[in-house]
Amino acid sequence: MSAERVDLRVQVGPLELPSPLLVASGTFGFGQEYAQYVDLGALGGIMTKAVTIAPREGNPGPRVWETSAGMLNSIGLQNPGLDTVIAEKLPFLIELGVPIIVNIAGETIAEYATLAQRLGEVEGLAALEVNVSCPNVDRGGMEFCREIPVLRELVAAVRDETELPLIVKLSPNVGDVVPTAEAALEGGAEVVSMINTLVGMAIDAVRRRPRLAHVTGGLSGPAVKPIALAMVWRVWRALQCPVIGMGGIFTGEDAAEFLLAGASAVAVGTASFVDPTSAQRVREELVEFCCGQGVETVRELTGSLRV
Amino acid sequence: MAHETAEVVWNESITQWHYLLALKTKHAAAAAQPGQFIHVRVGPTHDPLLRRPLSVLRTDPGTGQLWVLVRVVGRGTRLLAEMEPGARLDIMGPLGRGWPEPPPQGDLILVAGGVGVAPLIFWAEVLQSSYPASHVLSIFGAAHEGELACWLELAARSDEFYVATEDGSAGEKGLAVDLLRVYLDQRRVGAVYACGPRGMLAAAARLCARASVPCYVAMEQWMGCGIGACLGCVVPAAGGGYVRVCTDGPVFRADELDWEVLVQ
Repeated sequence: MSAERVDLRVQVGPLELPSPLLVASGTFGFGQEYAQYVDLGALGGIMTKAVTIAPREGNPGPRVWETSAGMLNSIGLQNPGLDTVIAEKLPFLIELGVPIIVNIAGETIAEYATLAQRLGEVEGLAALEVNVSCPNVDRGGMEFCREIPVLRELVAAVRDETELPLIVKLSPNVGDVVPTAEAALEGGAEVVSMINTLVGMAIDAVRRRPRLAHVTGGLSGPAVKPIALAMVWRVWRALQCPVIGMGGIFTGEDAAEFLLAGASAVAVGTASFVDPTSAQRVREELVEFCCGQGVETVRELTGSLRV
Repeated sequence: MAHETAEVVWNESITQWHYLLALKTKHAAAAAQPGQFIHVRVGPTHDPLLRRPLSVLRTDPGTGQLWVLVRVVGRGTRLLAEMEPGARLDIMGPLGRGWPEPPPQGDLILVAGGVGVAPLIFWAEVLQSSYPASHVLSIFGAAHEGELACWLELAARSDEFYVATEDGSAGEKGLAVDLLRVYLDQRRVGAVYACGPRGMLAAAARLCARASVPCYVAMEQWMGCGIGACLGCVVPAAGGGYVRVCTDGPVFRADELDWEVLVQ
């Protein structure tokens, strides 16, 4: 089977994507930094860095630390704020002609609603990704994933403000991820994305100091892939809902594994730090995988794990 | 595109901890400016995962060779130190903002601390070749003699060269900034360029501010992507907020940074 014959188009809830290969929020800035390395127009979609209403400075450094086959980060949602993002960042992205998904984060439900309302007025966005899972902020963030009724209320408040498709990015730092996915769908989201980073920590034993200035951070990279796969599988098996899977995807086969576990699309994250061309390479490798397996449409992989 | 496969052509152990690697590059050597860095993938596996930023020590654009100095501090640098000639390395670069145009008058003082000597060797070489009228005074400081890697490379490209070691095993006993204080007093200084430990840079920044001499520092920080996207490698900016070492730096005017927070 030839590569041209593999149909990469996927339907993720109401979202039609040209390919299942997206880039994950927080790992791709607002796209510009990668423009000289990757054909941005060939991506299945871009999930932006988290946007908050007011600009955020983020956490003190060191903010990153490498761990075995992974990395910890504690960026702390540094971003230039909603007004600047709308005026200076989104026009470049929308011009690319690929689905643009804006990741939003707030400290209160009202902030999420305001973000949704303002971004709902921007022409040309594909969806919003509601970030209720950042482990590196003192208020908001993943706390919203820890109280099911609050999460449901938050998503409903966002739903009231916009017609845009809603993706809720779930936290792995909960006892059971399924009720959080359920709450997101009940609140009116069509899609869940998972996983955000796992709370982790590294220590300099000689100096008796944490490696990150924020003490704890979020773990990502190949080290978390088995956890991410298991969570995608659990949510898919329980709810059969559209899932965007992510967590340590570095190869086309990694991407295929997430699709088999139930994801309709996937996102490359940490891999873009290691190699800025990762998303493109993973896409090519996924096509090769499909060719080798006689898979004509990538959609048929979703949830087709033999158990 | 600033992303290529380079080949290790030479790997020389200079001291117990330092290795000088010569890489053959298609693009990076010709494009690199003093103060810039390359972002090196240590191996093809996921462990170690992230690239390592390495200052360019010097280049030979004619042959495409580019030198980096590696001090073994952990697993990644250990693997780099063990690279054999012929090994292939995935590199990005040159990246970042290098040393700015020197002022037309006054001595130029280069202050190197330990492995921070690398970007200053390149700078001294370019000053010597492109600004022949400049007078370069270099100061190299380290804990002890064994940390003075590549001192001859710097000395050979400087009009004056001084050494300070904390234990007095070479040069003056004391710190590089002790010597900087002396020459800031004695000379008409056009600018100071420094790379080394945070404490040294903070002291250089303070002395220069007091003497009203422009001071530029090349910063080190743990880094993720190297291209400005992950916001992992920030340092605190003067007046609040953060700047990225990878793309806003690694060279900063000292007064762009918040030194009180940096040395905490």
